[in-house]
Amino acid sequence: MSHIESFLDYRAARSLTTGKYTRLWQNVLPYLLILPTFAFVMLFTLLPTVNALIQSLYQPGNARVPTRYVGLQNYLDLFNPNTLIGADFLRIAGNTLIYIFTTVPISMAIGFGLALLLNRKMRALGLFRFAFFYPVLIPLIGAGSIFAFLFADQIGLLNTILRSFGLPSIKWIGDPNWTLIAIIMVSIWKQAGFCMIMYLAGLQGLPQDVYEAAELDGASTWQKIRRITLPLLQGTTLFILTTSIAASFQFVDHLFALGEGQPNERSNLLLYFVFQKYNEPRNQGYVSAITIIILVALLLFTVLNFWLWERRTHYEN
Amino acid sequence: MRIKPFKRVRNALSTLLLVGAAIFWLIPLIWSVLIAVRPENEPIVTGNIFVGSRLTLENFQNVVRVTNWGEHFYATLRFVFGVLVVQVVTITLAAYAFARMRFWGKRLFFGLILIQLMIPAAVLIVPNFATISALGLYDTMWALMLPYMGSAFGTFLMRQAFKQVPLELEDAARIDGCGWFGVLWNVYLPPSLPSLVAFSLVSITTRWNEFLWPMIVTQSSENRPLTIGLSRVLRTSEVGALYGQITAGVLIVIFPLMLLFMLFQRQFINSFVRSGLK
Repeated sequence: MSHIESFLDYRAARSLTTGKYTRLWQNVLPYLLILPTFAFVMLFTLLPTVNALIQSLYQPGNARVPTRYVGLQNYLDLFNPNTLIGADFLRIAGNTLIYIFTTVPISMAIGFGLALLLNRKMRALGLFRFAFFYPVLIPLIGAGSIFAFLFADQIGLLNTILRSFGLPSIKWIGDPNWTLIAIIMVSIWKQAGFCMIMYLAGLQGLPQDVYEAAELDGASTWQKIRRITLPLLQGTTLFILTTSIAASFQFVDHLFALGEGQPNERSNLLLYFVFQKYNEPRNQGYVSAITIIILVALLLFTVLNFWLWERRTHYEN
Repeated sequence: MRIKPFKRVRNALSTLLLVGAAIFWLIPLIWSVLIAVRPENEPIVTGNIFVGSRLTLENFQNVVRVTNWGEHFYATLRFVFGVLVVQVVTITLAAYAFARMRFWGKRLFFGLILIQLMIPAAVLIVPNFATISALGLYDTMWALMLPYMGSAFGTFLMRQAFKQVPLELEDAARIDGCGWFGVLWNVYLPPSLPSLVAFSLVSITTRWNEFLWPMIVTQSSENRPLTIGLSRVLRTSEVGALYGQITAGVLIVIFPLMLLFMLFQRQFINSFVRSGLK
């Protein structure tokens, strides 16, 4: 008897002897296995999303006024620059967009450049990888704390360097024009290493024969990067882009050490603003609405990236 | 070949560029160490530029008085590994069902779980805080850990790993009399360990560095992880901005992970890559 036959035989024998109880068990088992994950995800992802959506349609009451349904009024307030909350929200939403669309492309460009430089046989590769990757592993609040010192007015390293060149020192944290820039610099410092290792992994998977062929044709380094490397790494680029944008919405912890959004919310970011206001009863409707707005923005970026992913040229075979 | 000398110059140039960038990236770390071991608030121009007028551990001695680091360290360990242990169990079970079992609604349930990839818990601090309060769990370790116990990302990663395992191996194990758990334990888990390690290292790193959520749902220092201890140093020293203490605090918080990273650099980096490339 072949193995397959004996196996079928065994199965038949088993299902004959095991009966109803086991068959029920077989049907229920998969649900039991997925239950913990499903329950946790429902309770702390889907339910809160629905919860925030509902809360965002209500105006919280107080001792005198009961909570009441206001439809989209909270959203209208947020997008109206003439309301108290709207002025802040629009400024902070603008900051967040600036923050994301500077941090992400600059980190990616630096990461790509570093990956190109590191993608060859060289000594002390581990040391270089440590230097660029360790910021990824330290807490953002820690990074903020270190940079708070580097940015400090009198004794900070940056201002000491500026002064040694005879330049005026900058009030990095506190000057409305510089605080957001300082915050962006910290994020780039922290994220570039992640982009670097992803690009490095991508580069190491590229076929070498294409480059050899290009070299025989006399292609310059720049041409090879533009015509071969970048197109072949389209998938990697899109992946880093998606994850980095989603991550940037959440990368706000360093604001705690770098000015807390001041002066005048000029350096604040959406999630940090939510964090500052979550416990003020009168703002419950607004923070819920902002949560939903962040989620919608995340969703839009994800859809956009999917669309780009579908449209990308396939080079693999 | 005439290309050779040109190539050598270019290699030297790119090494130079790399060295410069690496120094630039390392400055915050090196500087923190230097500031932590020099006397408090001594301007850079005083004494030796690197170590100031004298080497001292005063900053560390002072910073341990600001908050109870022992409690914070213990809280971080419970938070990080409490979440990890639950995650490893839940994602393994769910991934096995999604990878190799047939049941009604499989795609639907998988899709619902994957929504978590798009909606990170970090963004849901307001409604999740409401849930935790309603459950009466404010200021407990449960409040910290619950939102992270189910992981769509981990489930997805392990499902991919399990799908790589040849079906014939499962059949063979079944013939040998293994039940579902025996199959999972003996057939599916061993070849999928690299994925599990990758997931674990990423999970450990993210939990270790968590800040906003612990800040919101905990109050007593026995439930507050190291990052919150650091924030206390930042706030108590604000008047004089005691940077020596702040950097000493940062070093206390990052030291365990940095040590792990130095010992297992390759595993860390591979984990982050693997968790990205799917």
